[in-house]
Amino acid sequence: MRSRALSTFAALLGTALALTACSGGQPQAAPAADAAATPDFSGTLSILTKFAGDPTAPYFENLAAAYSKQHPQVKVELIQETDQSVKDKLKTLTASDALPDIYFTWTGNWADNYIRGGRAADLTKVIGPDTEWGKTFSPGSLAAFARDGKYYGIPLYGNGKFMGYSKAAFEKASVQVPKTFEELIASCGPLRKAGYEPIAFGNKDGWPALHYLQQLFAYNVPSATLEADFAPETAKLTDPGYVTALNQFKTLVDQCTDTKSGTNGVLYSSAQEAFANGKAAMYFQEILEFDNATSGTLKPADFGIFQLPVPANAAGDPAMLEGSPEGYLINAKSPRVALAVDFMKFATSLENAKTLSAPPYGQPSTVVGAVTADNSSKAVYEGIQLVNKAPKLAIWLDTVTVPEVADAWLSGGEAIVSGGMTADKVLESVRQASDAAK
Amino acid sequence: MRATLLRRTLGLAWVVPALVLVGVFVYLPLVQNLQFSTLKWDIYSGSQEYVGLDNYVKLADDPIFWSSLGNNVLYAVVSIVFQVFGALLLAALIESVRSQRWQRVLRAVYFVPCAISLTVAGLLFYFIYEPNLGPLNHALAAVGLPELAQAWLGQESTAMPAIIAMSQWQGFGYSTLLFAVAIQRIPREIYGAAAIDGVGPVGRFVHVTLPLVREMTGIMIILTISGAFQVFNEVMVMTAGGPNNSTQVLGTWLYRSGFVRNNFGYAAAIATVLFVITLGIAIAQLWASRRRRVEW
Repeated sequence: MRSRALSTFAALLGTALALTACSGGQPQAAPAADAAATPDFSGTLSILTKFAGDPTAPYFENLAAAYSKQHPQVKVELIQETDQSVKDKLKTLTASDALPDIYFTWTGNWADNYIRGGRAADLTKVIGPDTEWGKTFSPGSLAAFARDGKYYGIPLYGNGKFMGYSKAAFEKASVQVPKTFEELIASCGPLRKAGYEPIAFGNKDGWPALHYLQQLFAYNVPSATLEADFAPETAKLTDPGYVTALNQFKTLVDQCTDTKSGTNGVLYSSAQEAFANGKAAMYFQEILEFDNATSGTLKPADFGIFQLPVPANAAGDPAMLEGSPEGYLINAKSPRVALAVDFMKFATSLENAKTLSAPPYGQPSTVVGAVTADNSSKAVYEGIQLVNKAPKLAIWLDTVTVPEVADAWLSGGEAIVSGGMTADKVLESVRQASDAAK
Repeated sequence: MRATLLRRTLGLAWVVPALVLVGVFVYLPLVQNLQFSTLKWDIYSGSQEYVGLDNYVKLADDPIFWSSLGNNVLYAVVSIVFQVFGALLLAALIESVRSQRWQRVLRAVYFVPCAISLTVAGLLFYFIYEPNLGPLNHALAAVGLPELAQAWLGQESTAMPAIIAMSQWQGFGYSTLLFAVAIQRIPREIYGAAAIDGVGPVGRFVHVTLPLVREMTGIMIILTISGAFQVFNEVMVMTAGGPNNSTQVLGTWLYRSGFVRNNFGYAAAIATVLFVITLGIAIAQLWASRRRRVEW
């Protein structure tokens, strides 16, 4: 059985390699697709989403059905993946030159790779900030997918990371919402005495640690240094703020979680459930998770959020909030670029944007006016207001930098959690990965 | 003469489709993998730069490659102990049970785990090992050993042994069944003669069973080593190589290098090394299976 699994995997890798080899193996300039052309409303439009599973999967299914009803000659083929599986799927499709017409993307280095490789259509003529469609989006979300004055991405929803807390747990433990990182750590003792796991945390996939680390890096490392360190060409990774942040994270894991150094063995969804079921008092989560967190024992009225508090004497930017919009790119090599643009205009119409922002989806749309106090849950509305207010967003650590460095941070985060490496050693390993990636 | 030539040509025509399929889907990717291991390949732009043996040099300096190889070797050693010698011992015990019905029941009991797919078994054991909700830690606490409870898959020191333990549970029954079949082939008269000569059960196992299942033991050792170098599913499901790369094996490090780190040329170099290792084992297997059989 093992041998069959590996043979299949090897064959897939080999076939992906072979297919690319057949294409000549040289960089291919993307054809200059006219995104503003009149679409031909016929054929099959393929879309790769990150909305697999509940509660998000029906969103694109409903959109596809409604679009096909408007344009009966158009068939929409959906490939729905999860947050974890979409990464592998996209890379496999990229390697075999088989990207769908429309595909999901994060911002940062993730989107840059597709833009640099000529795989993302230039949409400036249709979604630039001065265009009719572009004006419907928040300017910051459009800018997140812009490179050298050109606009490539269609931002679908905004996102930010906040500490969600149970008001009842805080009340029972007589704890106030912490204003500093030190107060947050100090609150863990009383919360534990009150019968709660202070902070639910599961790091089996590695990235939950990166989310804490990126927010703490933003607080502890000066912005300009942090920005330079994301690119291997300019990275030095010598700022003492990194070690400080890594140690702060270790303190949080050891003092505020029940599993402590063993949290690498806990699924993030188990932590999410512990919070939703009232066993944990806090859980560091994305806006996208808010409505899910209040679908169990924890009720919306009992759910509050606050930005991860800033540590004392931090040398970075205390106003920087971790988060970024997520969106879609259009395959530059697609013969249906104009049709793909039309579908995404439909997907981001105010009506559909409002549906996306409301429960059960709870994905705060980047379309202006789509997230209101009436159609979104209180927490989602509050969260997106804070994201919009933040002067600068810190993009996820696993997508903002090159994959080798992101992977070194991921392993380092796991090592910090388990106690397998000191903060200095972790930083050294990341520096080595960054040097190798130059 | 012409008829023979025609027959031969027709015969060849029958095997050509199979040869083409095997050539395109097995041997061509192998050759191309070798070619890609000499490239630095950017999957986004499609650019490919020839770097010669750089990926192999990098591989020799990569501590994670060596720790992955070490994990494969550890996997092989433990598997030989449990899935070969342990299974042989268990098979001998089962076959010594007098009741035929109980023999069949025991064989079935031990065989059931290997009927479960590795992915499902991996998930099952992930939940067994889960530090907060998993039954293993609860069982340890219930028998008065709470200090032994830990995050089995969450710590560098215990993650790999925990995965290997699951794999032994899963593969043990298959080996046991094969050994049971091998033992059944041994004529009962030999055991009878040994018993008449006053040889006890242990002596019969050492002097009769062991020599007469030597051929099966050799094949099982080679199959087990080969399997240990192709481990992938269980590690991906249970830890994906973490924490801190402590459970990486060659298969998962290959995957991570290509699909996570975007370094497909380097992944191809790992694949080549893995291929050479498994090819060596396959050749050893062929050699072992050609050795003269024990006849009786």
